[in-house]
Amino acid sequence: MSQNRIPAGDLAAKGVYPPTEEMLNEPVPEEVQAGQRERLAKAWKTPQGWRYWTAVNNSEVGVWYTMTAFAFMLMAGVMALLMRLQLWVPENDLISADMFNQLFTMHGSAMMFLFAVPMFEAISILILPAFLGARDMPFPRLSAYGYWCFLIGGVFVIGSILFSAAPKAGWFMYPPLATIELGIGSDIWLLGLSFIEVASIAAAVELIVGALKCRPPGMRVNVMPLYAWYVLVVGGMILFAFPPLIAGDFLFELERSFDWPFFDHTRGGDPMLWQHLFWIFGHPEVYIIFLPSIAIAAMIVPTVARRPILGYSWIVLSAVGTGFLSFGLWVHHMFTTGLPNISLGFFSAASEAVVIPTGIQLFAFVATLIAGRVVMTLPMLWIAGALAIFTAGGLTGVMVAVAPFDWQVHDTYFIVAHLHYTLFGGMVFPVIAGVYYFFPFFRKKMLSERLGRWAFWLIFTGFNITFLPMHLTGLLGMPRRVYTYPEGLGIDWLNQISTVGSFIVAAGFAVFAWDIVRPKKDQPQIARNPWGGGTLEWSHEIPETKWGVRSIPHITSRYPLWDQPKLVDRMDAGRYYLPDAEEGLRETVVTSVIDARPIQVQRVTGPAYITIMAAGFTGGAFIFPTFHIYTPAIICAAFAVVCILYWLWTSTARPPEKDMKDVGLGLSLPTYAAGPQAVGWWAVWITMLGDATAFASLVFGVFFYWTSNSAFPPPGAEHASGYVVALATAAFALSWALTRGARGLNRAGRVAAARAALALAPLLTLSGMGGFILSVLDLDPTSHVYPAMMWALMVWVVAHGIVGTIMQGYCLAGSLLGKLTPRYDADLWNVTLFWHFLGLTALVTGAMIGLVPRLM
Amino acid sequence: MDRDDHDRQPHPREDEHEFGEERESLWRIAFAPTIWAFHFAISYAAVSVYCFKFERMVDMGTLRLGLIAMTVVMLAAIAWIGWRAFRRWDVYDTGEFTNPEGSAEDRHQFLGHAGFLLAVVSFIGVVYDTLPLVILGTCR
Repeated sequence: MSQNRIPAGDLAAKGVYPPTEEMLNEPVPEEVQAGQRERLAKAWKTPQGWRYWTAVNNSEVGVWYTMTAFAFMLMAGVMALLMRLQLWVPENDLISADMFNQLFTMHGSAMMFLFAVPMFEAISILILPAFLGARDMPFPRLSAYGYWCFLIGGVFVIGSILFSAAPKAGWFMYPPLATIELGIGSDIWLLGLSFIEVASIAAAVELIVGALKCRPPGMRVNVMPLYAWYVLVVGGMILFAFPPLIAGDFLFELERSFDWPFFDHTRGGDPMLWQHLFWIFGHPEVYIIFLPSIAIAAMIVPTVARRPILGYSWIVLSAVGTGFLSFGLWVHHMFTTGLPNISLGFFSAASEAVVIPTGIQLFAFVATLIAGRVVMTLPMLWIAGALAIFTAGGLTGVMVAVAPFDWQVHDTYFIVAHLHYTLFGGMVFPVIAGVYYFFPFFRKKMLSERLGRWAFWLIFTGFNITFLPMHLTGLLGMPRRVYTYPEGLGIDWLNQISTVGSFIVAAGFAVFAWDIVRPKKDQPQIARNPWGGGTLEWSHEIPETKWGVRSIPHITSRYPLWDQPKLVDRMDAGRYYLPDAEEGLRETVVTSVIDARPIQVQRVTGPAYITIMAAGFTGGAFIFPTFHIYTPAIICAAFAVVCILYWLWTSTARPPEKDMKDVGLGLSLPTYAAGPQAVGWWAVWITMLGDATAFASLVFGVFFYWTSNSAFPPPGAEHASGYVVALATAAFALSWALTRGARGLNRAGRVAAARAALALAPLLTLSGMGGFILSVLDLDPTSHVYPAMMWALMVWVVAHGIVGTIMQGYCLAGSLLGKLTPRYDADLWNVTLFWHFLGLTALVTGAMIGLVPRLM
Repeated sequence: MDRDDHDRQPHPREDEHEFGEERESLWRIAFAPTIWAFHFAISYAAVSVYCFKFERMVDMGTLRLGLIAMTVVMLAAIAWIGWRAFRRWDVYDTGEFTNPEGSAEDRHQFLGHAGFLLAVVSFIGVVYDTLPLVILGTCR
């Protein structure tokens, strides 16, 4: 009886762990197995007919995601071909200058935002659960929501070129060109891509929590697949890299829509702030693309070398080290902007330092290949091509990291050559290797060996024919992004060679694409582990089953399929954990971060329309403002909130039917978790870390203007009312205290007091928001960047205040309607965590609006 | 892979105590790179503020000396972290470089190894980022 008083989130696992060999040897009766398989199949059934699109399972969403990103890539590739045709001869008039600007802007933007980054998310969603022997990712509906956001945003952005309305200021959208650009191109870029960044952050949350909390029992951090290490690092990088861009987009769009002069130097603004924010995102992004692709190599290399990877710790070092160092490189895109030379020196030095970890991982791969008995399979061929091309790109990278050299080649075709070498070698080739390698896993069919070799040699030679001459074209002085060039500069023939090469690459991609989509019905059933890999994804079942793994294994080595000989048979027999779905629910095991001790059974969500509707309305909220139509946008935003609330209310943190569940092998796990034990809490924590980074970028903006501008705030400027700001901040602080207090009161069983606190808190939040609005109301944000910045901070804190209010109301409703009780209080933990961040944001905003400018 | 270090039989519960999960943190391997990040951010911010705001008022020598002093302290901190991590890795006593097994001891030593290597890279990174301060005497 006393157990019923313990908060459900504090219950611990009970029974035997780790399992003994004796327990594992005990056979599972055939009829039990059959019943289990039937129940699992029912719980994990993919919806049929047109309901298919409501699926949220990672195996469906992952495939849609991958194919969508691939389709965008092909479109962006066609744009590149058009540009190469235009550059075929000097003074060509095939394409107008304006269309050419749209083409190169869209080519870069689409390749980066619609292909490279989403492809990482797509592939990870598709295969990470299999690496980890998990049934699914912890938040399937979040993945689906992210996918639908990506699809809607992507079609919107890339479709604009068909209406000749595409952005045309280059993929990094430098102001003042991009801010004064007429037409809606820049808005499409800003809002469309911001929308997609939401999807990226959603994926980062999903993948980090997946890698940390959804590993199979026993898979300690020193034995987890290297891919999971890379996912962890890249997820972390997304959290610190994307938010500065989101902050930048926020300021940029405020300038485009309302003429707040953040980047207009005539009113105290500074276009350099955009460059900083963009490249604080933009350079880590290069590694966000590179690391997960090279992670694919880290999975393929041991398989083809027939031995464990050499230097596992060294590769972890290089992933983590690169993750950090890549944040110290951004100014090397800005070497020609006139920053002090000594500042450039720091970035030059860090750019050279990042070569060390990057090189180490390549050496580790080569060493593994030398030490093993290499079978030159098709995936390995692509990896070999990747290593060759990436090394060449890395070497020119070392050159352009030296500032004086960069001054010579900045914005020339040398840079175009360099970046394509790094991206083809660091991303395209390893990803294609991954497609060949993992295709039998996610499609249960093999791709053609013959077509694959054709595709490889066409793309490999075509690539070098296209981009190798570009180094020289650039050194001879051809700037990038020009729609044509005069005759007789000695670059005509180089351009012709590049154009020929680009069509050879295209031919190679045509072969590759055909290989993927061609019907494979007649192909006989493939071998279960066609490459002889040692990691868990090759325990997959053939023909395909939808439940992920039949039972979640206990893992004790890095290559379980090589080192644990009875593992697959036991998994198939349902000898391991969660072999059944008695309640007909989708479930997976949550484990501890370091040693992967099983701690909870997580119920994961199933098919739903609500994610599609939420994504559609979110899309409306971002897309309408592009055309400067705001009322429907606000209505869409409101509906998006309603959809998300419905989704959360109906399917997350519901009190379970029983507190503990027998998961097999004599182990019982809690079915409910709250606070730091719960995956939801981790998701909030990770999201808010990203949110805090975006806010920090805004605060950085204030100090940036102070350093770069001799008059910030301008002399005699009107300040926000100090008293009102202080009161508003105090209201937020009290609201935070009440929320935190409500959590304690609720746990202690003082439900009425908790409800009172949760009823009072939103009122305080609202008055705090009102106070912040009031404090800056007299300042004119269009007059100068100083009042504009104060307004921007106010908008930020008020927008978060709205979310905070909704959350407090959500908990109050939960308490009144029995979803949130003293025993089942996960929602209140998550909301309190959000409020820790919001309280801090309000405090800093108060200081930045009310105090700091007076001291500057 | 036979290793003679396994001749030394540990006490049955020794592992659990010394290598318990609760004594470990994933953050620990990130300490040294975090110091690099702070070193980088502080150097860059200090120099930027100086060059844009105070170049005409004060000589750069003091700032450079201050930052180099900070560098020395931070390098010492990284070296200390690296030494601690090296001890955790315990390669001299165990002779084991790779720690591929699913035991708490291997996990413990692996985190030491990774932390040690990251300390080495961070050390090099900090040295690199200090070179401009040593070589260049002015903002320009």
